[in-house]
Order: sequence, then structure tokens, then C-alpha cells
Amino acid sequence: MKSFLQYLGIEPERYQLAWISGSEGQKFADIMTHVVAEVKKVGPNRKLREEHE
Amino acid sequence: MSDNTAKAREIAKKLLQEGTVAMVLGWEKGDEPYVSAPTVIRDAADVDRLVLDEYCIHDRAALLPDYRDRSEKIAIFAKGCDSRGIVRLIQDRVMPRERLYIIGINCPGMKDPNEYFRAASGMSKAKPAEKAAKCLSCQYPNPVIYDEIVGETQQPRDDKRFAEVDKIESMSADERYEFFIKEFSKCIRCYACRNACVACNCRTCIFDETKPQWVGRSTDPVNNMLYQIVRSMHVAGRCVECGECERACPVGIPLMLFNRKLIKDVDQLFGPYQAGLSLEDDALPPLSRYRVDDPDEFM
Repeated sequence: MKSFLQYLGIEPERYQLAWISGSEGQKFADIMTHVVAEVKKVGPNRKLREEHE
Repeated sequence: MSDNTAKAREIAKKLLQEGTVAMVLGWEKGDEPYVSAPTVIRDAADVDRLVLDEYCIHDRAALLPDYRDRSEKIAIFAKGCDSRGIVRLIQDRVMPRERLYIIGINCPGMKDPNEYFRAASGMSKAKPAEKAAKCLSCQYPNPVIYDEIVGETQQPRDDKRFAEVDKIESMSADERYEFFIKEFSKCIRCYACRNACVACNCRTCIFDETKPQWVGRSTDPVNNMLYQIVRSMHVAGRCVECGECERACPVGIPLMLFNRKLIKDVDQLFGPYQAGLSLEDDALPPLSRYRVDDPDEFM
């Protein structure tokens, strides 16, 4: 799915998948921080939005 | 090809007369010389309608799910690509093998009636191609499963299946997005691609559901693209590359670019795989079975 979205021109940073167990609170926090940082780097999404220009 | 027509009629007549099958799925001549329309023959007296020529491009297997809730035996004409579709339908438990009498056709490649129509009606000045686009990189012109066979054995064509995908992959992300959104702005959401597809054999299709409505139904480029993303993910690993979706598309969206990309991904993740080649258990699509060593990356 990630490779497919990339093929369509979507930045890979926007779609991330991780396996986190219910007991891994710290891992969840770390990954979320990481995702937010990555998405901030690529900026607001302009693709695949309803109000497509 | 007229030999083949004669042979096809002979086989169909025998099957219907002996009562082996209740119906024969084949093609008959349409209004124009370049049209061989899908047809169903139920009576031995009608077999003279059957034809088998270079315009029999439609996949008859895609219609089999319509007969899944009945019990009569069906004879079906199948080219290489159609036969792979039939294997997939049997694997998906849509149709038991015993209900089918498969008349295989060693297929030299078909002509695209749409191209001939455009040329004949003056819509296009281009000369129609000798072979339909979908037949150009066909790897399995000979049926993989059959009870009886018509025509001479054919050689597989050059393997250029991924040439177009590689071309798209070499573009930048923004170029790719612009390219696809432009193509999908043409889509009229007629769902012909879904209806022509053998892999699309669910009883209830998610695109027909309204509660919840998974994908917006308006024909704007983004919803069109989302529709096609979902559709191609659903057939990932089960697509037999018959190219029917692309051929059936009335506005000419290159849908095989989506399907082939996913086939390429499946090849890379699960090892080389082509759907619908054999009925063995280990020939099931990678996404329809579980193995301990399956990769995690696909999601």
C-alpha cells in the first residue's frame, strides 16, 4: 500500500504503519512524535483532497 | 479462423445435443464485421450463430458469477487469459470445476473492435492495430485449463508487462500525481472496469454499498482515483492481467498501470507470482493464504 501510494505521487511520510501492542505506551508515543515530525517536514497535503484545484 | 468457427459449432452442437451442458457461452456475429458479441446458446438448433474469429476479445469468464446460484452445467469458450480467470473463479469457490466444460482456444491475439469502430466511423484516423493492446505482452496465449482445445498452439509474446509501470516510476512524485489525476478526471464511474473483471466476483461489492458509503460517488477526480485505488487493491495478487478493465473503459483510462504496479509489488514481496495458472493449493494468490514467512511490508 505504501509503495502504491508513492507510485500515485503521495509522499511516503504521510502513510506509515507500525505494529504496537497495548502495553507499549512508550513505543506508541515515540512513533507518533516521529510521524508528526515527518509530516511537518513535508508540509500540508495538497493531494487527493476533495477540493482539488 | 473459419476452421475454428466450424469446430466450435461442432463441439457446441455435440454438447447440447447429448445434454452434457445446458448452455454454451461463446460469441456471435454482431451488427458489424468487426464485432463478435458475447452470446449464450441454449439450443442445439442455434449453434450456427456461434463464431470464433479474431474479434472474440470479450472475456466470457467474467459472466460466470451470474450463474453461481444455479446448478446446470455450462460450456464456456476460453482463451488463455479467460482460462486463467476461470481458474481464479474455481479457486474463489464461485463455480465448481465439475459444472464447467471448458473449450480452450489457443489464441493468436485478438483485434480490438473499439479501434475498428473508431476507424470505420471516422472518429479516429489512426489505422486499427493488428493486435489489441492487451494482447501485446500476453504470456499465456494457450489455455491453462481445458477439456477440449481449438486452434494451433501459440508462442507467448515478448514480456513487456512492466515497461509502462517503469516509465511512470521514473517520473517525479508530483508528475506522477498530475498524470494520474488527469487520467482519472475522465472517469464517468460507469463501473465497466469492475463488471468486466473476473477478479471482481464478490456478491456484494463495496462500491454498491451505501451504509456505510466507503467511497464518494461523485465523479470528481479525487473520488474517481480513490475508487480505483480501492478497486485495484482488492484485486491485488488476483489479477490475471486479461486487460479487460482497460479495454472496457469507455474513456480509455490506462487501468493496467494500477494493476501491473500491484502485480510488481506482489512479485517483489512474495516472490514471482502469476494468478490463475493452476488449481493446486500452493498456487493460491499470496494475499488469499497465510504463510509463516509472509512479509510484513505489504501494509
